[in-house]
Amino acid sequence: MKKEQEGALSGYRVLDITDSNGAYCTKLLADLGADVIKIEPPEGDPGRRIPPFAGDTPHPEKSLHFLHRNANKRGVTLRLDTMEGSNILKRLVTTADVLVDNSPPDYMEKLGLDYSVLSEINPGLIMASITEFGHSGPYKDRKGSNLVDFAMSGIMITSGYPGKEPCLLPGSPAYDSASVHASVSIVAAIYMRGTTGQGQYIDTSVHVTSRTGLYPWIIPNYSYALNPGGPPPTSENRMGAQIYPVYPCKDGFIRIIALTPRQWDALVRVLDNPDVLQIEEWRSFMYRIGNADDLYALMLEFTTKYTMRELFEAGRREGVPIAPILNIADFYNSPQTKAREYFVEVDHPVAGKADYPSPPYKWTETPATMRRPAPCIGEHNEEVYCRELGLSTDNLASLRGGGIV
Amino acid sequence: MLPLENVIILSFGTGGVVPDAGKIFGELGADVIKIEAKDNLDFMRTIGPDINNIGQFNESNRSKRSFGVNLKTEKGRGIVSQLVKISDILAENFRGGVMKSLGFDYENVQKLNPQIIYISSQGFGSGGPYSEYQAYGPMLSAASGVLSIWAQPDDPYPVGSNAPYPDHMASKHLVIAAIAALDYRRRTGKAQFIDMAQTEVAASLAGEYYLDYTFNKRIPKPMGNRSLYAAPHGCYPCKGLDEWCTIAVFTDEEWQSFCGAMGNPAWTRDSRFSDLLGRLKNVDELDKYVGEWTSTLDTNVVMETLQASGIAAGVVQRATDTLADPQLKWDGAIIELDHAVSGKRLYPAVSFRMSGTSPLKSTPAPLLGEHTEEICHDLLKMPDDEIKQLLEEDVLYNPENAKGAGGGMFG
Repeated sequence: MKKEQEGALSGYRVLDITDSNGAYCTKLLADLGADVIKIEPPEGDPGRRIPPFAGDTPHPEKSLHFLHRNANKRGVTLRLDTMEGSNILKRLVTTADVLVDNSPPDYMEKLGLDYSVLSEINPGLIMASITEFGHSGPYKDRKGSNLVDFAMSGIMITSGYPGKEPCLLPGSPAYDSASVHASVSIVAAIYMRGTTGQGQYIDTSVHVTSRTGLYPWIIPNYSYALNPGGPPPTSENRMGAQIYPVYPCKDGFIRIIALTPRQWDALVRVLDNPDVLQIEEWRSFMYRIGNADDLYALMLEFTTKYTMRELFEAGRREGVPIAPILNIADFYNSPQTKAREYFVEVDHPVAGKADYPSPPYKWTETPATMRRPAPCIGEHNEEVYCRELGLSTDNLASLRGGGIV
Repeated sequence: MLPLENVIILSFGTGGVVPDAGKIFGELGADVIKIEAKDNLDFMRTIGPDINNIGQFNESNRSKRSFGVNLKTEKGRGIVSQLVKISDILAENFRGGVMKSLGFDYENVQKLNPQIIYISSQGFGSGGPYSEYQAYGPMLSAASGVLSIWAQPDDPYPVGSNAPYPDHMASKHLVIAAIAALDYRRRTGKAQFIDMAQTEVAASLAGEYYLDYTFNKRIPKPMGNRSLYAAPHGCYPCKGLDEWCTIAVFTDEEWQSFCGAMGNPAWTRDSRFSDLLGRLKNVDELDKYVGEWTSTLDTNVVMETLQASGIAAGVVQRATDTLADPQLKWDGAIIELDHAVSGKRLYPAVSFRMSGTSPLKSTPAPLLGEHTEEICHDLLKMPDDEIKQLLEEDVLYNPENAKGAGGGMFG
């Protein structure tokens, strides 16, 4: 961990009142050096109960989902639905640049903590709201979930095998789509504030951003197939491995991205020029899609002669992208991952030491790296409330006694 | 004002990542200049017969200008060097090593403009044995390990989706990094080089699975639509061909409401289903019962019935359903733009609202070389006769002399 080095967003303070569904938004900012203070209720963010756990023992400090998505942040506890709690939040707002929340519509307003109130306390405040279905509209009060939002986004119908049930993308794709969009608009607002001195309010929803952000092409794919006066085109559906075919090899599976005739020719060379693959028709991508089953039967004989790595490297040499389908451990152990030092050891006081995925980029001036483990419940209460906000230790003790922190 | 007003971004982009990032930079008000060559096109221009009439290309390349230039000529590279000198950000996702062969790697670009922020998005990232491998999103979801768990447990092998994942998530990471770097430069005067790996973006978005390996020495297996902490949690068949509705029931309270919404059929009283642990343990049977209920109903009936009882439920929507989705309509999430060649077509709108900016707008994708002349004239202050001469020499391209480029990579 490289705690001492400055990040691109060092010097900015972000108040994070999101739960596990918005945690990736503030993680992106924390990875770049922002001082992200996670604010959770005294009993802990419900996200701390998401399995699996380090060591497989359920424990609020050991949820892997929580540990990953809250690394690089500090953490305090605060009950926002009390007068004292909301007053403390307002004091924190005077020291903050950004506040992110993913509470349901109207919730912040009910607490008296909506943007109109907070921006009066701090006109430079950038407040970003992530809701499930938006602050208004016919679905505003509906219940979502990662699976449900992913289903409605339009990408799920293209995931999995034709004839079988559509398949969820692992992780939290719908929520993370909202998180990355919120984060984009937050850094844009920070940059803009450099000129205007003014904060602003940002509104994103999981429903809209997963529709527009995860697979934007499905809309033009449909729209470009519409012809005036003609019948409406069929909506895009699951195509299994037809576009990006998968074949078994000696020690696993490979995925081939052969789109152009040139890439197909390279693939034929990779497989040592079998006669049956040198028939002119196979050079056409559309022909290969139309005859995918026949091609699969033919290809088996050749791809199974090689290992994933042999095909990956031969593809590189001949000019056709071939990917090994690695499992999670294979990626961790891959020479590229090692060379880039992508996994970084982090020592958490309760969960212990382990290698974590680090931010997905290397920066020359301001490293984006692992600075600290995810906070324990209330770990930084004293640091933030007493040393930084100036509450006395007696004050803090009475807040603790009252169940406020 | 717009957040990125007066910011000039040079885009050496192809495929999904840098073009999609450029679209967002453009929506935020930057002047995004896409450097395009006639004989080495963004491959997304070549997946149909007309380079200016490709849906996916015209989606990703909205809100930017196209500068057509032959990078194989010294004069062409010289003109691009002039653009480098006046730009704030250079973003590229050409195959590893290509920018260096053109003389536009960070070392050279920095000499031309020490203040430029250079962001490179490679499939595997630079450094290491795979840094120069050509890479597409579907290859990277495979090589990152994510594809291995994007499947049903009984699938012979994982196939993921038609979508080129993680391209459209990597692009947003790139935008965040670039704007953060821009702000750092505003505050300190220091520019820098950012080297993003798309495999690492995919891994970062699924980080908890890697921790399962590093903490627990377990290699995660695909779980399909199931959850470790919710049941029922799945995608259930409804009336009609290939019609599905997803349902997620987390707590025991939600389970009670769920049973009520179904009319409390006898099987729901089975004590094995009364708490979450029991439902998780007997999930095969549970899913069978739920599927029997849903398969007699239309997707919308399942969704509406359950939502009315406070249960998370959502139809697996197709493109056409999302066009009719009343909430997306309410939010104006899909817009129509009139493109010079493709005509009026539908696209996703800007994905977020910002209260303090002028309205964020999306403009149609450019034709190849559409803005070459105006950029030479307005930004580079080149005399008209010189521009004309360079067009005649095929050093520069406008839509006229770029005609005949590309054409049907799918043969």
